[in-house]
Amino acid sequence: MAQKILIVDDDADFIDINTRVLGASGYETESASTSEEALQKLRGQKFDLAIVDLMIEDLDSGFNIAYAIRDDEKLRDMPILMLTSAPRKTGVNINFPEGKDWMKVDDFAEKPLKPAELVNRVKQLLKSK
Amino acid sequence: MNQSGHILVIDDEEVIRSGCQQILEADGYHVDLADNGKSGLELIRKNDYDLVLTDIMMPEMDGMQVLDELQKMDSRTVSIVITGYASIESAIDAGRKGAFDYIAKPFDPDELSTRVERGLKQAEHLQQVERLRKERDENLLEISNERARTLTIINSMHEGVIATNRQKQVVLMNPAAIKMLRLKRQKIIGQTVQDILTMPDLTKTINEILETVKSSLKTLQKEFDTPDGRVLQASITPIQDENQACIGTVTVLFDITREKQVEQMKSDFVSHVSHELKAPLNAIQGYLDLILEGIAGNDPEKERDIVQKSRNRAKALSDLINDLLDLSRVEQRNISKEMEPVQLQEVLTQVIDFYRSKADEKSITLKTSLPEDTPPVRGNKQDLDRLFANLVSNAVKYTPENGNVDIRLDSDPEHVNVRIKDSGIGFTPETKNKIFDEFYRAENAVEQKISGTGLGLSIAKKIAEDHQGYIEVESQVNKGSTFYVIFPAYK
Repeated sequence: MAQKILIVDDDADFIDINTRVLGASGYETESASTSEEALQKLRGQKFDLAIVDLMIEDLDSGFNIAYAIRDDEKLRDMPILMLTSAPRKTGVNINFPEGKDWMKVDDFAEKPLKPAELVNRVKQLLKSK
Repeated sequence: MNQSGHILVIDDEEVIRSGCQQILEADGYHVDLADNGKSGLELIRKNDYDLVLTDIMMPEMDGMQVLDELQKMDSRTVSIVITGYASIESAIDAGRKGAFDYIAKPFDPDELSTRVERGLKQAEHLQQVERLRKERDENLLEISNERARTLTIINSMHEGVIATNRQKQVVLMNPAAIKMLRLKRQKIIGQTVQDILTMPDLTKTINEILETVKSSLKTLQKEFDTPDGRVLQASITPIQDENQACIGTVTVLFDITREKQVEQMKSDFVSHVSHELKAPLNAIQGYLDLILEGIAGNDPEKERDIVQKSRNRAKALSDLINDLLDLSRVEQRNISKEMEPVQLQEVLTQVIDFYRSKADEKSITLKTSLPEDTPPVRGNKQDLDRLFANLVSNAVKYTPENGNVDIRLDSDPEHVNVRIKDSGIGFTPETKNKIFDEFYRAENAVEQKISGTGLGLSIAKKIAEDHQGYIEVESQVNKGSTFYVIFPAYK
């Protein structure tokens, strides 16, 4: 059975592109364009990996999704690939929820990712699981 | 012998007068003569004598009266009385009235010369004392003026100034510093820094400088957060004595809260813009990769779809850049823009004509009411074009097929009002608060994939406010929105 990936991004074109890229490599994908939709889908069906954009509704919504995943016993072990197009040097302040320190996502990459690069990272994450 | 000295001899006896004159002129003095007290005083008032020799017993006005008058004149003229009745009493009496010495008649030339010489020395001495007193008074005045001037300058400075001594006590704090540090009306001078300042970091830094060994003394510049969330920049300079030991500090405070806020706003704006610019570029690159890597599977239909989507993003990127340029143009408020009376019916007619074809494509009914007799508003035509282009294009863009857009202009003696009403998708009351924010886009607009930069309304709002006008909006989801723009009428 094909491995299933959830793509979380508020940019419809990004979802379109990566659905095609991952589909061509044999993965099954679903998508969500808000944090709420993402968590709803993650809790409703089983995914092997989540690709989460850092900036969805806010500058750091992606982290909130990641926290919710790590807080959920059933989802905790799912690998997360976090993507961002936030330029590194513009001083974006990321506010971590109170009482929680930096938490590791499994991989972090800056957009845009070449198709081969994305597929490669996805493969690595699914293998190490 | 030629000595300086201007002497007046007052005596009613001719012999004495001429005798004195001979002796004193021989000594080199300049001598004037008077034969009674009255004419003597007249000369004293006219000339500046170093010494006056006066007889006591004289008709018209006696010598005692001359002494009295001399006293009153606050003169530094030294007086010597000549008396025919050498008695202790008259000498004491004359002494009380300020006479420096007395000579008893008859006297010999040497005695006169000696006494006059002594008297002139006294006169010189008195003059010197007076000169020194004057100099001292002037210096004291100068010093106190200087102090007052320096204090006035320090007190009227916009920057806060705090001076401390080696014992960490405040010796000076100007009103600006008291205000910046939000100090209450309390005793400040003489208190320690620690007791007064509510900013432990600043206290610590000042104390550290006071304790620093002399070789490493230098001005320290640092930013400090105040308890109420402002930012102060402090420049702390050690004051050194002649042995380079630190004997105190001067701290100059600048309130840089506003600068910090502007810096933060600028940085937020830049990161937001960079993100907004990168998103369409990322999408375009992603689509191009799909074609280049053959992921589209060489299907012309799929490829065409991908190219079309890339094209849309490129167009959105170009729109965004145009809006950013507009935003920066509108924000250049300080650069004087040409402001002139503008007829809004003309502006609106042009804008509506431009968007009419788009409305027709969607079969939207465009109704207008633009009375010719509307008074003008004072404004910049290019900006007003942009404002109404943004509002009219929004109305057409967010109104579904077969809807209505109604544009009305009306006026009262004080205002010119524009109402742009559509039967579009509208927005929620929560959205209403954010709709004019830069880059904000209503959720339902994004869901329905209606493209936009999120800058149009913030540009419109800025332009309206630049024209002393304002924008208001009413909206209901799926019923439509109405924008009102109100300007003062130009008279």
